[in-house]
Amino acid sequence: MTTTAQTPASGTSQGARREGDTLTAYLFVAPAMLHTLIFMLVPAGAALYFSFTEWDMISPARWVGLANYQEVLFNGDVYPDFWKSVQVTALYVVLSVPASLLTGFVTAYLIDTVRRGESFYRLAFYLPVVTAEAAVGAVWLWLYDPQFGLVNQALGVIGLEGKDWLGTPSTVVPALALIAAWQSGTCMLIFLAGLKGIPSVYYEASEVDGAGAAQRLWRITLPLLRPTTFFLTVTGLISALQVFGLVYVLFSGSPGPEGSGLTYVLHLYLAGFRNGSMGAASAMSFLLFVAILLITAVQFRLMPRDFED
Amino acid sequence: MKLLHKSLAALAAATLTLTLAACGGGGEAADANTVEFWYYQPTPEQAQKVQALVDEFEDANSGISIKLVEIPKADYNTKLASAMAGDRGPDAGYLDQPQMARFADADQIVEVPAGTIDDADFYEGALQTNMVDGKLYGVPLQQTTVVLFYNTDLVSTPPKTWDELVAVSEDVNNENPDVAGVAVPKGDGFGAWMYPGFVASAGGTMLDEKNKKVTFADVPAEEALDLWHTLLESSPREITNSDLPFQKGLAAMMFSGPWDIVGIREQFPQLKFDVALMPMKETEASTIGGDNGVVFSGADNEDAAFKWLQFLSDETHNAEFADITGNFPTNIAAAEASTLADDPQIQVVLQQLETAHARPAVADWIQINDEYIARAIEAAVDGDTPPADALDEAAERAAKLLGWS
Repeated sequence: MTTTAQTPASGTSQGARREGDTLTAYLFVAPAMLHTLIFMLVPAGAALYFSFTEWDMISPARWVGLANYQEVLFNGDVYPDFWKSVQVTALYVVLSVPASLLTGFVTAYLIDTVRRGESFYRLAFYLPVVTAEAAVGAVWLWLYDPQFGLVNQALGVIGLEGKDWLGTPSTVVPALALIAAWQSGTCMLIFLAGLKGIPSVYYEASEVDGAGAAQRLWRITLPLLRPTTFFLTVTGLISALQVFGLVYVLFSGSPGPEGSGLTYVLHLYLAGFRNGSMGAASAMSFLLFVAILLITAVQFRLMPRDFED
Repeated sequence: MKLLHKSLAALAAATLTLTLAACGGGGEAADANTVEFWYYQPTPEQAQKVQALVDEFEDANSGISIKLVEIPKADYNTKLASAMAGDRGPDAGYLDQPQMARFADADQIVEVPAGTIDDADFYEGALQTNMVDGKLYGVPLQQTTVVLFYNTDLVSTPPKTWDELVAVSEDVNNENPDVAGVAVPKGDGFGAWMYPGFVASAGGTMLDEKNKKVTFADVPAEEALDLWHTLLESSPREITNSDLPFQKGLAAMMFSGPWDIVGIREQFPQLKFDVALMPMKETEASTIGGDNGVVFSGADNEDAAFKWLQFLSDETHNAEFADITGNFPTNIAAAEASTLADDPQIQVVLQQLETAHARPAVADWIQINDEYIARAIEAAVDGDTPPADALDEAAERAAKLLGWS
């Protein structure tokens, strides 16, 4: 380390200096690369290998080729809930991603306009993201309680009838999406950074031309936030497809009423760790990986070309 | 190659284990005289009592030392499987009853040597949970079952039969529509665990392992689902889905285990309740749960490990050990001599344990329970699928999974 760091000062030739810089750079990224290698790539490779085996974690794995993939996808007798879990997850993505983008944007927009205490609001709206999932689950269980929950009480005040939100199959995923919308602190922060990045000259110029607040929002803010929105859509979709912790806590590891809370990763987890089908669970995780890869590729294809402007 | 395989296995286990936080590196104690014993993490006071038992054992068996490893119950099976995949499993430990067949089939646990325990000392149901293919693979350490809980303000005489149960439930709900008759079990893993007790009461069984036949779609099993479906009419889910409905007086009855006797006394002292034997149809029956002590095949010193299990299950120590960990003794003499026997509510549980049935000993039982039977319960109890249809579908799937005709 010390020798390379001193290289530029010791007046060596250009080539040697560049070589030294490269080495330094590699040393700096080495911890991150090692982390990726040891904790992500190697295990992912192992999971790929195990997806071709029948393995219950306690006896040796047995090579079965593509049988796991075939059974997971097509054998409804062994995995009756696989497609159900795909449906639940798809519905969750469709509801939760736009919902958290919307709340994230609205809170960011409002925070951007406050004159005082911006950091307080930033913190307040970010708290749900850093709160332990178990605590979030416990709090929302109470909020959604069919008899005493605040949600039903609030609905009662405006004359609407309460529901058994987490006990009725049709309301489970919307209830989950609402929690996701409440946890949109990350979206808020990134939107806020995006808002700060819009040069004020645009607003000033438009005001001179007589544009109102709505026009400024519609014609300047939103178009200029497109790269931000795109980024958040991609990352939001990826994380929504992998939702697990919250449902695990809310339904204590069970799939919820009529399987309505059986998200893809919960199904995968139960197959691997509860039913001892780690091979099939690995196959499921690779199917999810491929799905995410494809969806993201499509999103990049659809991405508008004029981002740099 | 073997090493590569093992390390790959360990890594895959580590990544896939979402809940597996830093798994405190045990396993160094490869000392032949040390028995590493895994059990569910108790409260700190309870842990001290377990340590006292260890001290007593070590005094009596010089040369053997016991290394206790406490694992939170919710993560136990996951951590055990991950540790074993990484070749760092314990010498001995708890094993959840329905896991016995899977571990025995995979040769991961050792058959209990003849003469280690005397079968006649133990409750039949608890002992049966250790049998796989007619061989004994573990020592029953602690057990539990479910009984009927009833709110004495709402129910004067506890129902003894299914018909009475339905009648009492209807009376309660007619009297006050905001109160449910019974917190009816749901189509989840817990409900599916209780269900075999009801089937047994109606004179049925879940599987016929000898003749390789799935029997949980027979008439008694249908009758059990019919009962739950009927109970639901006087026990709306909007009420019972609330948090702790029985404890808060919103449900007049529930089926639950001794942990709730203790829990309610401590946390809901104002609730007036009592317990009774499960209402029956043809015969008295309930379901059994609990944990067995097993010795894993990688154990350095099997003899020492079995001695420790013997110690935990004997007449002198079993009641104390089971009590420390919040469960019931499996040793009959220990149960009868224990202070538990003075508590009338606990006595009901002890009596119920005599008719508690073990779950089928097949490796895939957890999946059949959680996915197939739970789903059938849900469809027939909460949904409108006729019990026969729901159970036939589940039975067909179970037969395919088990490779039975």
